[in-house]
Amino acid sequence: MSDYVLELRNATKRYGGVSAVEDVSIGLRRGEVHALLGENGAGKSTLTKIMAGVVRPSSGSLYVEGQLVEPRTPHEALQMGVAMVFQETSLVPTMTVAQNLFLGHEKVFNRLRRINIAAQQFLQSLNFDVDPVQTASQLGAAKKQMVEIARAVLLNAKVIIFDEPTATLTPEEKKHFFDLVGTLKKRGVGVVFISHALEEALAVSDWITILRDGKHVVTDQTVKFDRASIVKAMVGRDLSQTLYGQRKKQTRRAGRRVLSVQDLRMSSMVKSTSFSVFAGQITGVFGLVGAGRTETFKIVAGLLKRDFFHGGEVFLHDRPVRYLVPAPAVRDGIAYVTEDRKVEGFFETMSIGRNIYMGVLARFGKGRVLTKLSEERELGKSWVSNLAVRAVSAGMRVIELSGGNQQKVVIAKSLAQEPQIIIFDEPTRGVDVGAISEIHEIINRLADARKAVVVISSYLPEIMTVSDRILVCRQGRVVEEFAANEATEDLIMYAAVH
Amino acid sequence: MIALLKEASDRLLGRGEAAITVPPMDGPLKPNHIIDNAEVVAELDDGNDLASDGETLWIAEGRHLLRLEPGGEKELVSAFPEVLTALARLPAGGIAAAIAGKEVVVIGKSSWASSRRSVGGKALGCVTALSACRDGGMLATDSSADTGPNEYARDLLSHGKSGRICRLTPDGNGDRELVAGLRYPFGAYEVANELWFSESWNHRVAKIERNGAMPHISSVIDRLPAYPSRMSPAAGGGMWLTCFTARRRLVEFVLREDRYRRMMMQEVDPRFWVAPMLSSGQSFLEPLQGGNVKTLGISKPWAPPRSYGLVVRLGPDGLPKYSLHSRADGHHHGIVSAVEANGYLYLLSKGAGLLLRVDLAGLTERDTA
Repeated sequence: MSDYVLELRNATKRYGGVSAVEDVSIGLRRGEVHALLGENGAGKSTLTKIMAGVVRPSSGSLYVEGQLVEPRTPHEALQMGVAMVFQETSLVPTMTVAQNLFLGHEKVFNRLRRINIAAQQFLQSLNFDVDPVQTASQLGAAKKQMVEIARAVLLNAKVIIFDEPTATLTPEEKKHFFDLVGTLKKRGVGVVFISHALEEALAVSDWITILRDGKHVVTDQTVKFDRASIVKAMVGRDLSQTLYGQRKKQTRRAGRRVLSVQDLRMSSMVKSTSFSVFAGQITGVFGLVGAGRTETFKIVAGLLKRDFFHGGEVFLHDRPVRYLVPAPAVRDGIAYVTEDRKVEGFFETMSIGRNIYMGVLARFGKGRVLTKLSEERELGKSWVSNLAVRAVSAGMRVIELSGGNQQKVVIAKSLAQEPQIIIFDEPTRGVDVGAISEIHEIINRLADARKAVVVISSYLPEIMTVSDRILVCRQGRVVEEFAANEATEDLIMYAAVH
Repeated sequence: MIALLKEASDRLLGRGEAAITVPPMDGPLKPNHIIDNAEVVAELDDGNDLASDGETLWIAEGRHLLRLEPGGEKELVSAFPEVLTALARLPAGGIAAAIAGKEVVVIGKSSWASSRRSVGGKALGCVTALSACRDGGMLATDSSADTGPNEYARDLLSHGKSGRICRLTPDGNGDRELVAGLRYPFGAYEVANELWFSESWNHRVAKIERNGAMPHISSVIDRLPAYPSRMSPAAGGGMWLTCFTARRRLVEFVLREDRYRRMMMQEVDPRFWVAPMLSSGQSFLEPLQGGNVKTLGISKPWAPPRSYGLVVRLGPDGLPKYSLHSRADGHHHGIVSAVEANGYLYLLSKGAGLLLRVDLAGLTERDTA
């Protein structure tokens, strides 16, 4: 019997003569976690889609428990014991957890009570704390993922493939997810794990395979890797110093105060918080989940409403403002680059150019009846070139881009509005290391151009690398401020926790 | 009509114009303990102002003009019949002094004509700052027409706006009022071709530009979290701006409550008014804002302060570069004057009755940051 529960040999996948994956071999053992790493466009997703029967390889062979298989659909792959959990869950939102679990495997006569009891027993056997009668739409991201995993295990999956499972999870949910992976390992399930968070891969996996430009670079045991060696293998050059290794020696001097938030309040999320943002500086905002960072800046940008009574004051250029909707904030020069780009950041089926043009219309299009296609094309072309968006043309649909390039489109859409203050909320979440470096470069360029820049991030090394001054939030308010050259990880974390 | 309804709803809900908030002290105004850690040079019973030519330091203490000797001793230069309220060193020599806020005299310089008691037909009543101009003239801030120099709190609580800035010339013929109707101007300084001044009750530093006959006033820094006072030049460009205390929401609230304020001014001893003070912590009768209450005898440094010590280093563009603080739990409060001399920044803490100094070399890193 083969050592591997799943083995892919010399897999190649070509799209119109272009190789997405070329001659890659990979093996997965029972009860082990195998991390698949690489920049966006390195071929990770294509490789896993071959395993899960979503796409068929141009050449190469797939073995499950030593048997040569050729799954033509995900359903066939599932029959063979290979399940894939995608970033966007495939649960039916209006159905209950129990109904979702048994969907497609119903009997002729189903008793709801029996299904619920069976679901409860099964979830408990996996040690998953999910209520089977709750509808899927009411579940948080982590619990949705639990149901997806449970469904895969219920169908006797021997291999479960996770594509960026932690991208949308909070730190608490991530911990829960890693516990789940531990449970799966104990049950002898092989796990393939794609992530851009290198620390997670180092913490959770047993083996690591790194791909670059569709080609296999290295496979080895996780203990033989560290962050720098992974980054080097992923991008072919040493980026770790450029990314997070260098501390700021010289911080930018604060310019004019652009934004002043005074005693801002919103229900239990934002509690009398006060701070300022200055032109020509990058203000990093750090805090644990629930610290109210995103909510505070969403209020500033008019995406959320502050308290009706005594909601505090927001001054933009020393002028009091109170936005009920985002449009006037955009017109006043506030741009908010969302943390959830897929839901709030762009229209995925529209072209790059049209998405950016929508941003321009939001600021300058008031009273306009007709739009110009030529203007849209020119705009798209210039921003694709300005921000080095890797796309065939500005007419390409955003959904066809990698995560990093999608993020650049979201940024371009905001920058095209010629803002005075740009708020980046988790700007590099779900973005590969090469694109992280480029996005940081864009952020720095904005500050050098004397714009007021805010970077909200949960990733401490990013905050410390990119910020000129660091605000720390805790329980709905800014509790501490550090100059970047005096801050240490310990000091920031202490302020965020205590 | 809509504006009236909006105003009424804002007042009801505590929003918009009716919101009571204070700007945060962050960025270049981030608190530290530099003033509290400053070296004490001398005790001053009634220090009011400092002046310097870069080497020698002059002090206005009560009725006396003193010079600080290198050993730290105070030497009497001149005595006056009443309290000195402002000092300025003139570039051509001589010291200008304001006596009881009502008279400006120059000693040690014969080119200045007699003393001045009025400008533009109005008597001087509250001269709180003097500064020299490049053309040999002088700027004087007459902070209030209604109250004297020691009654600043009464002027604030009366919503005073009778301050003015006057220009004095050596021969007296060119004396004139530059701008009037200000809310307690407490410092003025000539910067290039502009005139900058601090306006305490408007919490700003503003500048006067002349467009034709009418002076045009615009803000250099607005919405300061403190009450700005005197300004002096800083080596390397820019200025030192002192702020005699920090703002707090209790005072802002009382300023909107007319009936309460009137009763307080009629019935309560001025030492215990809800008003900005130069020092605090001397009596249990002092009104406190909630967060200011001591716990086990310890005052929190971030508490809303009744008195505070603050000096702001302004760059040549008027933007704050960094600041020096004595926080709510500190003692060197009520800084009313800051001047450079012999490589030190001398600070007059009127609240603590002390002359302090900070080594400028120790601030170089902040200066260049």
